Amino acid sequence: MLTVLRGGHVVDPATGKDGVGDVWLEDGRIVAPPAGGKADREIDCAGHVVMAGAIDIHSHIAGGNVNTARLLLPELHRAIRARREGTPLSTAKWSTFETGRLYAQMGFTTVVEPAMAPHHSLQTHYELNDVPIIDKGALTVLGNDDFLLRQLRAGESESAINDYVAQTVSGTRSLGLKCINPGGCEAFKENMRAFGLDDEVPFYGLTSRKIFQALQKSTQAVGIHHPLHLHMNNLGIAGNIQTALDTIDASQGLPLHLAHVQFYAYGKEGANAFSSAAAAFAEKINAHPNVTVDVGQVMFSQTVTISSDVLKQFNSMPGGSPKKGAIFDGDANGGGIVPYAYKISNYYNAIQWAAGLELFLLINNPEQVFFTTDHPNGGPFTAYPELFALLMSAELRAEVMARLPAEVLEQTTLPSLKREYTYYEIAQMSRSGAAKLFGFTDRGTLAPGSIADVAVYKESRDKAGMFRRAAYVFKDGDLVVKDGEVSHYRRGKTLHISPRFDKNINTRLDSYYEELYGLPRGIFDVPDAALPHKDAFAEVACKV
Amino acid sequence: MSKATLDGKAIALEDACKEAARILSGATFPLVAGLGADVPGARAAILLAERLRGAFDHLASRDSLADLDVKRSFGMFTTTANEARVRSDVVVLLGPGLTRQWPGLLERLALEQAPRHGSQAGQPRKVIWVGPEADEAAAVPGAKIIPASLQQISGLLATWRARIGGRRVAMDATKLELVDGVAQTLKDAKFGCFVWASSIGLDPLAIEMMQALVTDLNVTTRFTGLHLGARAGAAGVVQASGWMTGFPPRTGFGRGYPEHDPWRFEASRLVDSGEADAALWISAFDGEAPAWSRKDIPLITLAPAGAAPARGLYIEVGQPGVTHDAVLMAQETGGMTLRAASAPSDAPTVAQVIDAILAHVSEVAPC
Repeated sequence: MLTVLRGGHVVDPATGKDGVGDVWLEDGRIVAPPAGGKADREIDCAGHVVMAGAIDIHSHIAGGNVNTARLLLPELHRAIRARREGTPLSTAKWSTFETGRLYAQMGFTTVVEPAMAPHHSLQTHYELNDVPIIDKGALTVLGNDDFLLRQLRAGESESAINDYVAQTVSGTRSLGLKCINPGGCEAFKENMRAFGLDDEVPFYGLTSRKIFQALQKSTQAVGIHHPLHLHMNNLGIAGNIQTALDTIDASQGLPLHLAHVQFYAYGKEGANAFSSAAAAFAEKINAHPNVTVDVGQVMFSQTVTISSDVLKQFNSMPGGSPKKGAIFDGDANGGGIVPYAYKISNYYNAIQWAAGLELFLLINNPEQVFFTTDHPNGGPFTAYPELFALLMSAELRAEVMARLPAEVLEQTTLPSLKREYTYYEIAQMSRSGAAKLFGFTDRGTLAPGSIADVAVYKESRDKAGMFRRAAYVFKDGDLVVKDGEVSHYRRGKTLHISPRFDKNINTRLDSYYEELYGLPRGIFDVPDAALPHKDAFAEVACKV
Repeated sequence: MSKATLDGKAIALEDACKEAARILSGATFPLVAGLGADVPGARAAILLAERLRGAFDHLASRDSLADLDVKRSFGMFTTTANEARVRSDVVVLLGPGLTRQWPGLLERLALEQAPRHGSQAGQPRKVIWVGPEADEAAAVPGAKIIPASLQQISGLLATWRARIGGRRVAMDATKLELVDGVAQTLKDAKFGCFVWASSIGLDPLAIEMMQALVTDLNVTTRFTGLHLGARAGAAGVVQASGWMTGFPPRTGFGRGYPEHDPWRFEASRLVDSGEADAALWISAFDGEAPAWSRKDIPLITLAPAGAAPARGLYIEVGQPGVTHDAVLMAQETGGMTLRAASAPSDAPTVAQVIDAILAHVSEVAPC
């Protein structure tokens, strides 16, 4: 069926479009306007903004740690509304099904779960499979695993490490590599309570710096598009701006993605010895085009923090609310789940809120900074529309600032920032830039030949409302959302890459598992036969 | 070939699925219970319960909920069996019958070997076993055995916790010396680990006392816990239920969205009180029968060969990991894994049978 979206404000940074035009779809793809072609379906998009489907590059939507959070906090997600016909469990709050529905309603069509533990990847894939409508992907976590740390300790060659990295990413069917507090979770098992960039992991003699640099190089060498996705040391601690700046200095000029950087933008100024250092951070990022970041914006709400940074999560427990938590010392990273309430009246939370917005507004290139709340760590992904609105309106920010504790404004540059994001910049951050970051060539754009993932928003002064409920959303050319409501499910794909490696690494790993655990390595595998729908996987090409 | 019977008389599988759909769709509040299935089977069963606007429960929910209640009211420290194996220098086995809950326990933890990782690598492990059964007591050479009944465990943990916290306990000097000895061992541990199974009958207060002790110990050192999952695939079912509905089993869909209530949606109570007026009973591992006493509600049983009840509709299903490959939680790893069939047959899986039933259930839900 040939469909035309007629006369909308087309915003597509990948092709440079920013003006009124038509978008044509046929058989699940964007197509060039057919010569004299007559559409089978014409949708009047006058007064609407037309963008490619959005891509969320970092959102904790699946896996054992997320599920632990669900089971830990039944009181936080009581459902209140019956679901519509044809959309089972779509109003079951915090379920995988609701996740797919809510993302689709906001015009998001691809979401990446950033923390898949290699030994628990099968469950992550089961959960991703139950997120309807949208396409998904995941990043595999390495950097606290004994096998890699042994390799580095023994001074093995880069090619040996590359084989291990490629085998793990390939075997767990992910889109790339994440490294979370490199060495810090291992150190926590040995009772270290703080772990900086140059602290040594007990018994391995390795620093965080050395671990992440090795993985950063390896990521490039095996052809993974996405730069190493790094969750740095010292998350959330006053004065941790130094860790962030030092980490960028250690980035060797190679591509590096820093996750939820708002949580590292803290100085020690002011009466509370806690201030925003976002301005210095942004300046550093602007000077390092090899570095990309996502923000991890804090939005004032009750939430739960979910992280494989077990050391940090353990240290967070005394401040948790409600007072309970789960700490899992896993085979490598593990996980910590600690509920938390961000309050507008709380000085520290208000600084966090301001620091995140400063980063958005002070980083010059929108394709270098990505749109996240580190769902659910800084706030739920459902707060994205409010965040879009804040970025697009200095007036709205001023209204919120007026409600913050007065001393907060002395410790942030936010009041001086008048920048307002345009639709084009919003689309750079959430579409074109995000696609580049993962090497997606056929999504995040409305260029002919691309997957027909399209979000159409009815223009409104209420930007949050506009982005919360898209007027139309097409997934693979299928109209799945109309007037902000999902009409039906379709099965999304799980995207993954298959970097190549020397198969000898398999033999080595077989003996490693046999010798250390007395287990066949296959017990951790994600074989085709175990997958709920093996046809739902789609491979993305590696870099040549 | 699959076998199906109605009140003991053979019927065709297709007819059995249609009849099951008719019974369940016709009920006011149908129940999907037992839920002894692999992960795909549980997934299908929960979707069926949702479509029917009924409720679902697992046959070992009592045990799963004992752990979950502690987790969601207090919190929990846990680890994997493999991390305990390679790193734990002090292991405390809590209660009788652990090796019956998981026959592979001692082999997996390799307690007679020294830990491999961390500061205690190569040093002999200290093993304490509280109240093992007679035939378990000698299973770990060198283990310190502390006799205790199941009911005494909570009090014992409380005593240790008091002493570790520097508090006084009323106890004669000889006993106190023993208690203080254990307390010192726990405090000196570098990566200690409690091993427990709620399914031996441990109640939530005992589990909470143990986790509170772990929390106290973590102020100065590292300590954690390893829990053994309940029977009939409970751990995998809880996970699937968690991501699908946000809640563990004992969840109902009467209002068109999930509501979790461990009392309201307990299967036996629903049947015996008459609130549920039809039930699908799934017990694919071993054909365990329902625990409810009422026999007059329409019943559909999915169980392996040889477990056909005399009454109601019966559809034979395969045994997960025996007659067909199955995705299950692996106690060895704490994660999901594919268990290859050990004696493959063409008996259908729970997921296949439920999908066939679901195909005959109208999407238009009764309001």
